Amino acid sequence: MRTTYRGLAAALALTPLLAGCFVSGEGGSDADGAAGSAGRLRVALAVPPVQALSPYSNDATVLSKLSVAEGLTALDKDGAAAPALAKSWTRKNATTWTFELRKATFQDGTEVTAESVVNALDHANEAKTKPRVLSDVTLTAHADDTDTVTISTKTTDPVLPLRLASPALGILSPKAYAKDGTVSPVGTGTGPFEITRLTGKTKATLARFDAYWGGKAKASGIDVTWIAEGTARANALRSGDVDIAEWIPTAQAKLLDKDTRHEVPSVRTDSLVLNTGSGLFTDTALRAAARQAVDGSALVDSVFGGYADPAQGLFGPAVSWAADKRVEVTGRAKAATTAQVTSKTKGRTLRLASYTNRAELPEAATVLQQQLEKAGFTVKQDVREYTQMEADLLAGKYDALVFSRVTLLDTGDAVAYLASDYTSDGVYNIAGLKDSEVDQAIKSAAEEGDPARRQQKVMRAEAEILRTDAVVPLVHEKVVQGIGTDVEGVLLDPRERSLIDVDTRVK
Amino acid sequence: MSVTLGGADTRPVQWRAGAGRVVAGTVLLTAVALLPWLSGTDAALTVLRARSADQDPTPAQLAAVREQLNLDEGPFTHMAHWLGGLPRGDAGISWVSGEPVLPQVTSAFAVSFTLMLGALVVTIAVAALVCARTLHLGSRRRLGHARAGTGAAVLAALPKFLLASLLATVCGVWLDWFPSSGWEGPGAMVLPALALGVPSGAMIGGLLDHSLPAAFNEPWARTWHAFGFSPGHIARHALRRTLSGVLPQLLPTVVALVGGAVAVEKIFNIPGLGRLALDAAIAQDLPPLQTATLVLVLLGVAAGLLIQALRRALLGPALRDGALPALHPPALPRRRSTLWVAGFCAVALLTLVVAGLLRDPLHVDTTARLLSPSGAHPLGTDSLGRDLLARLGHGALRTAGVALAVTAVSMVIGLLLGMAAQVGAGLTEVVSTLPAVIAGLLTTAVTGPSVWGAACAVCLVGWSPYAAQTAALLEQERASGHMLASISFGADRWYLLRHHLLPAVLPSVVRNALLRLPTAVLVLASLGFLGLGEQPPTPEWGRLLSENQPYVELAPWTVLGPAGALVLLSVLAVSGTALGRSGARRRTPGRETRLRGSS
Repeated sequence: MRTTYRGLAAALALTPLLAGCFVSGEGGSDADGAAGSAGRLRVALAVPPVQALSPYSNDATVLSKLSVAEGLTALDKDGAAAPALAKSWTRKNATTWTFELRKATFQDGTEVTAESVVNALDHANEAKTKPRVLSDVTLTAHADDTDTVTISTKTTDPVLPLRLASPALGILSPKAYAKDGTVSPVGTGTGPFEITRLTGKTKATLARFDAYWGGKAKASGIDVTWIAEGTARANALRSGDVDIAEWIPTAQAKLLDKDTRHEVPSVRTDSLVLNTGSGLFTDTALRAAARQAVDGSALVDSVFGGYADPAQGLFGPAVSWAADKRVEVTGRAKAATTAQVTSKTKGRTLRLASYTNRAELPEAATVLQQQLEKAGFTVKQDVREYTQMEADLLAGKYDALVFSRVTLLDTGDAVAYLASDYTSDGVYNIAGLKDSEVDQAIKSAAEEGDPARRQQKVMRAEAEILRTDAVVPLVHEKVVQGIGTDVEGVLLDPRERSLIDVDTRVK
Repeated sequence: MSVTLGGADTRPVQWRAGAGRVVAGTVLLTAVALLPWLSGTDAALTVLRARSADQDPTPAQLAAVREQLNLDEGPFTHMAHWLGGLPRGDAGISWVSGEPVLPQVTSAFAVSFTLMLGALVVTIAVAALVCARTLHLGSRRRLGHARAGTGAAVLAALPKFLLASLLATVCGVWLDWFPSSGWEGPGAMVLPALALGVPSGAMIGGLLDHSLPAAFNEPWARTWHAFGFSPGHIARHALRRTLSGVLPQLLPTVVALVGGAVAVEKIFNIPGLGRLALDAAIAQDLPPLQTATLVLVLLGVAAGLLIQALRRALLGPALRDGALPALHPPALPRRRSTLWVAGFCAVALLTLVVAGLLRDPLHVDTTARLLSPSGAHPLGTDSLGRDLLARLGHGALRTAGVALAVTAVSMVIGLLLGMAAQVGAGLTEVVSTLPAVIAGLLTTAVTGPSVWGAACAVCLVGWSPYAAQTAALLEQERASGHMLASISFGADRWYLLRHHLLPAVLPSVVRNALLRLPTAVLVLASLGFLGLGEQPPTPEWGRLLSENQPYVELAPWTVLGPAGALVLLSVLAVSGTALGRSGARRRTPGRETRLRGSS
């Protein structure tokens, strides 16, 4: 018996020894403690870093959300290019642009020069897996003098200034780029906040960068915690552990105090994508029947708990210009009646896919299943983790997919999304759409240089796509951001690119 | 599968057990190393997706990833490379992040191990509480009635993730006693350790409570009592006698939490090994996945050896010399209340099922979402306005059926492997700490998404508690005097198996299996995201719990119904078999004496 006691005692004695294994509360926040909360912002972000905050990965948005790195340009409220590190730019000819740099310093103390900008862009261009924003363009940057950069593209690129606002093309100091291809934004950005420490995938500490060209930030620093689980993020805000918690799941939103709950229309549209390439929905009448059967507005107050807008098209209210320029859809196929659906499907089941990564989608799929069954379809669901089914989706193994898609990709330009998802040779064409008129419409939008006319053409392409019934928009999502009542100046950005800037502060 | 008798020569046994460990570990690591090639899902695609969610999967991008990771070299080159680095303390670099794997895995392991120790403390405390009454009465020879163990069954049936959600909300947010998430100090450990430890403790305690009366029934206990030894002294020795049979359960129940507590790690945002392994597995990021698996294998083996040493120390020379008296439970009368409890659970479940079957479990009514219980919806509605009573009723048969089948298969495998002591021991240790998710991924890789996949995956790992228990009990039984007597009378193996070994092992293993029934339901449902098991909207209790988990606070009835049903099922199973056993024993009056002997 003695031995057991000793064994137990030894096991218990190990516990304090292992206390070293806790995530060390980074010196700053503990030492400053109460003092630190004066001025420091505590933020809970949703997506843990995958590549140590490399701008060429998912993590790029973290750098822009926390104002760590900046590009040559930025996007303004309406989604137009605004000056950032470049104070102005001119288009020399179809493929050449020059950018005038402002006087700015990197967080490591070195000056931002044309050379360093060229160096940063070159590295992005040569990254082993090219950032999404450069996938359809090849940039060549050249330093004219210390504060002028000329950028030329192989083919005409009317949206180059928008592209350069992408967080993946943030300009970091030469020190950031290691020989082995990794990029570290720790202490190498130009923004008002400087990452001083990154603890694995759980925490990061940011300090104010006092030499920021746009003036000193009002907050003295940021303590970031990554909390992947939405409920836990909501809990962290409710218990006062953080001041800001992004992406509160719709199921939790009601639990937040009203004045901490802020909704933002998002550029995310949820839709039902129908597989036009193979299976049931090669039949246009069946597609039309599905479109008529499906009612996305039923999802708004139920599945999304009111945090969504009924779909108006592919582009929702977060794309400010879309509503005014919307083109009416004409020439749609006639929907099959319930009896026709039954005879046409001949007992074949409709394989309806959705994925678990976004909690609302499986619920939406179940509602849609009932709607489709009413229209005469026999439906079988397949719900999995997204990566477990992506290959099958791209191979066209499903008839329909409940899909949540960002409509303005990191270019901030709507054409990129349309081109990858709906053109015959689009790499993300889950609908398997091959329609020459759609291709034509998207191509013509891609070539248009004038912003207003480009938007008009995008909306024409939207109408062409909707005509084919390859996609049935359901809702435009809203994002709920949890913001403590003692914080002000948090940016509510539909593109989910910015969150904290120089003016954000604790009251 | 040889049934060894007696502990005559231990050296070859140890040698074989060692070989068993090495073989099992090697097979597992090889299977993991082959995962991307077995699954047929391009690792380049999953890695690209993990790095960047918006990235277009163009052939050029995929080729770049493939080239960067040297995927074309095939699994064996990779495995050799990884193994070659290990002696230098280099476990490779993560395919997704490009960072060295070893520091990540060690820090995650340290976190999970600390949490596991916390859970162990809670487990011991809860187990002590569960069997305190039996210990108290037994040591004073006042055990008049056998306990059905319904209390332990209730606690053991509580889903850990539900307990975690509840604790985080109540103690973390409402009362603000402890941090609701994070891992920044010992305070952050309390809630997750409770969520993990309470059900585990109830399970261990339930098993102890079940075997304690047998220890008090042994001749020495009676003698000591007659000689006036203190109750505490008798209790300690009875514990020592029974603990050796229950200790091996700590391996699959508590030590396995190092890699198997993903749900709780997520809810409390703990950067543990379970989440690391899961993320790596989903991204098919081999180096971290392999390293995590290796760490878990080593942990399993180390913990297995430690537990074995503890058992040897507890039982001492008696085990070696074949001088252990056999543990046989006394024929104690059942309390009437057990009958009532079993009857109540049976009637309640039956009502639930019949009432539920008369309703439509699939009808979605988005205007009637999250309605609290009322006349129209006796158990309320879920987030899509479906009637919860209907979903429970329609899910009952499938849930109970599959869970029982899986448990039965696991039990049989466990019994067989537990009997093959030497080979089984290594295998059991290796499998005990393997998270079900990894078994699930390996199953999907081979079978593809399928309805039966979940059951297969659970059977693949679910047998380890039973094997560990069988092996431990058999070892004691083989060392008992009456076995020696039987052998000397010329009994053959089959006779020994039927008349001594199985009767000694079966009741405890069945009890264990019944206590684990709810866990099987939950694990089956937890593999749904891999495409294993019934697809939604099929009602199934495990799914009901997991799909309603986000609404715990907003609409508690959405989880109370399914959780209550699970508790009913578990209590019914435990008390029902208790009744059945005592009934059977009453028909064949045993050799045991009543415990009230000396008074």
